[in-house]
Amino acid sequence: MRVRVKFAKTGIMRYVGHLDLMRFFQKAVKRSELPIRYSEGFNPHQIMSFASPLGVGLTSEGEYMDIDLKEKVDAASALKALNDNMVEGLEITGFKYLPDDAEKCMSAVTAASYVVTYKDSKDDACYIDNIIDLKERFFDESGSINIVKKTKKGERELDLKPLIYRFNLIIKEGVPEYDLLLSSGSTDNIKPELVIKAFHEFIGLPEFDELSLDIRRIDMFTGEPDSFVSLGDIGDEH
Amino acid sequence: MKKLALPDDILMQIDKPARYIGNEFNSVKKNPADVDIRFAMCFPDVYEVGMSHLGIAILYDMLNKREDTYCERVYSPWPDLHNLMKERNIPLFALESQDAIKDFDFIGMTLQYEMCYTNILQILDLAGVALESKDRENDDPVVIVGGPCATNPEPIADFVDLVYVGEGETSYPLLLDLYKEHKAKGFDRQAFLRDAAKIPGIYVPAFYEVTYKESDGTIESFKPIYDDVPAVIDRQVVKDMDSSSYPTKMLIPFVRAIQDRVVLEIQRGCIRGCRFCQAGMIYRPNREKSVDVLKEQARELLASTGHEEISLSSLSSSDYHALGELMDFLIDDCLSEGVNVSLPSLRIDAFSLDVMSKVQDVRKSSITFAPEAGSQRMRNVINKGLTVEDIIGGATLAFKGGWNKVKFYFMLGLPTETDEDMKAIPQLANEVAAAYYDTVPKEQRQGRCQITISTSFFVPKPFTPFQWAPMYEAGEYLRRAKVVNDEMKAQLNQKSLKYNWHHSDVTVLEGVFARGDRRLCPAILDAYKSGCFFDAWGEYFDFDKWLAAFEKNNISIDYYAYRQRDLDEILPWDFINCHVTKDFLKREWNNAMNAKVTPNCKMNCNGCGAGIIGSGVCHNAR
Repeated sequence: MRVRVKFAKTGIMRYVGHLDLMRFFQKAVKRSELPIRYSEGFNPHQIMSFASPLGVGLTSEGEYMDIDLKEKVDAASALKALNDNMVEGLEITGFKYLPDDAEKCMSAVTAASYVVTYKDSKDDACYIDNIIDLKERFFDESGSINIVKKTKKGERELDLKPLIYRFNLIIKEGVPEYDLLLSSGSTDNIKPELVIKAFHEFIGLPEFDELSLDIRRIDMFTGEPDSFVSLGDIGDEH
Repeated sequence: MKKLALPDDILMQIDKPARYIGNEFNSVKKNPADVDIRFAMCFPDVYEVGMSHLGIAILYDMLNKREDTYCERVYSPWPDLHNLMKERNIPLFALESQDAIKDFDFIGMTLQYEMCYTNILQILDLAGVALESKDRENDDPVVIVGGPCATNPEPIADFVDLVYVGEGETSYPLLLDLYKEHKAKGFDRQAFLRDAAKIPGIYVPAFYEVTYKESDGTIESFKPIYDDVPAVIDRQVVKDMDSSSYPTKMLIPFVRAIQDRVVLEIQRGCIRGCRFCQAGMIYRPNREKSVDVLKEQARELLASTGHEEISLSSLSSSDYHALGELMDFLIDDCLSEGVNVSLPSLRIDAFSLDVMSKVQDVRKSSITFAPEAGSQRMRNVINKGLTVEDIIGGATLAFKGGWNKVKFYFMLGLPTETDEDMKAIPQLANEVAAAYYDTVPKEQRQGRCQITISTSFFVPKPFTPFQWAPMYEAGEYLRRAKVVNDEMKAQLNQKSLKYNWHHSDVTVLEGVFARGDRRLCPAILDAYKSGCFFDAWGEYFDFDKWLAAFEKNNISIDYYAYRQRDLDEILPWDFINCHVTKDFLKREWNNAMNAKVTPNCKMNCNGCGAGIIGSGVCHNAR
């Protein structure tokens, strides 16, 4: 009986890394007394997997974890039991039974949406008057966005353009706010800071500091660009 | 959203920022405005070490049960953060409220090992509190320390206002009530300390005067300066472990702590009486919890933490009277739920091997022996009641059960140790290896057996029969390690043996502090000012800075570490009554010199003095 749990990681929980979060959830599931299934063998562990890890410093409203239960439980009470075992900055927002053929969240994810803004309203980017026009030219229908991506094996040239599914920009109280939908998952995982860095270079801002950005993940999706489905829309509560 | 003491840019550039945000599940949240007493409970080492400590967990729970008190936690900021806090003048804060601890009523610190002394100064320094007690004013926090090293608090006497000698469960309620009274009538520091000195187990170093003999520098007299301050401090002991405060919840850190499991204390104290072991003396008498209480505590703690492992804590678990019943319960009730039972060092016998084979993967795990000495003569000197037959027999049983890895722990530099005693260490390991090849037929072996020998260097501790013993210079310890190493290479089964030994400089320093007096305070202060802290961490330990601080303050390592103390010398910790009498310790020292074994407390009462407590093994036996 597979279940997809959706949760939000906000506030000060941004400073807790992915491995630490996984360990937190193992204990939280145990405390909540859900009938979770364990692997076989000498060191049994809970059958639990997470969609794309969230970097330290980022917050998210759309995180997912799949777990295996030995038997069906009432979704609403399970959601409550889990929430009773959370801390400030972690909230369970969904608990859905997955259909048998549903792909695991870890391999299913193909895209993620983000809202990115600046931590400091005096950031250089806030003083670019024609930033909206520049954005139109940066994210032009026909053009390409070539960057050099650093990987473990070295550096490689990459065209970001086909991996950016949405790049919107609005000015909110004088501060630019980006609304992004980016390729995500095991093959072409594009981090939002990489896209903003390319944009900064395009508009001629010097010295990009990724720590100047406030990045919120909004949701994660599966499927193809023309038919993305939120990971949270798969399955149901019964 | 909860506020944090550290700004985002700092949190994003330091290692493991989750060490500093608090917010752990089961951490206590109170409104500071609703309490009378704010208590900062510090473990002067890094978060992962401090969060694993059971004593702090017990006191945190106990103090927070009081409605008038909010106890919060503090750990030593790692050097990366330390530098940033100094640079930007960020005062040290408590994890729960993130408030600066210089505004708290108490700063309490536990002294678990001597090498944390400079970290005490780090905590005070970062907090913005005067490093020396004499410089603190009425609105500064009261600095109190406790823990095993508080049985000789003299080397840090200048830095602390109060020392709690003994187990925290007994006198803290009295101390906090007294503080509240004083606070209500307008707090006067001196008046409070004077009254606190009358509470059992509370020692106020500033109220004592020490004089030294001109001839040899040893103590001439150690006396209170006021008539109403006690000359002797009675170490505090919990009488009944069953009714003693124990947490039903434990905090779940985000960063993985050293102890990532439920720790269940099954008893305090030890019946064995090993002559080098301070814990075995100061925690007397041995007091057990009843098995029903333990079952209930295990159940509650597993449910409230969600831990998937439980570990029993005690000095010698095999001596617990109902270990079989407790293990059966844990295995039957917990194992099925995906919970592991981890076993502390048990005596290796048929019973413990049977239990271990149920809870561990035999192929991966190893069997641990702590004979502490290689020759039977040496083991008799230290009163480690373990024979070569016990060791070979236990190992043989383990080999039959499928294990092929054995770990041995020994000490070097014990009193009366000869080269023959050192050589006996690898010889014993060789015999164990031979037992493997005799026991396990060739076709069943998976390669060689692995026998790992680890040696540490013996440090004499206060309140042990070896408190008078001389230590050796660093080079001599290394020579002894080399004797062991050379002898190992001469063994028939040397390819199955592996040898690890410790660094020796830090051993000497530990020895100076362990039996030090208050004349060391200025040197510790200078060492901290010259950059020493996290001395327990090899990468930060700088012996040269320590030597410079000693030289500047005329501290002779020879005096504190290497000399043989006279049995009648006044020792810096003699003003503490640990219940075990000096007569008993002297008797045991003489027994050691004659390699004479003393039976354990369950076999025979040896009149150590702890019987005066009127509980535990002394009481049961009568």
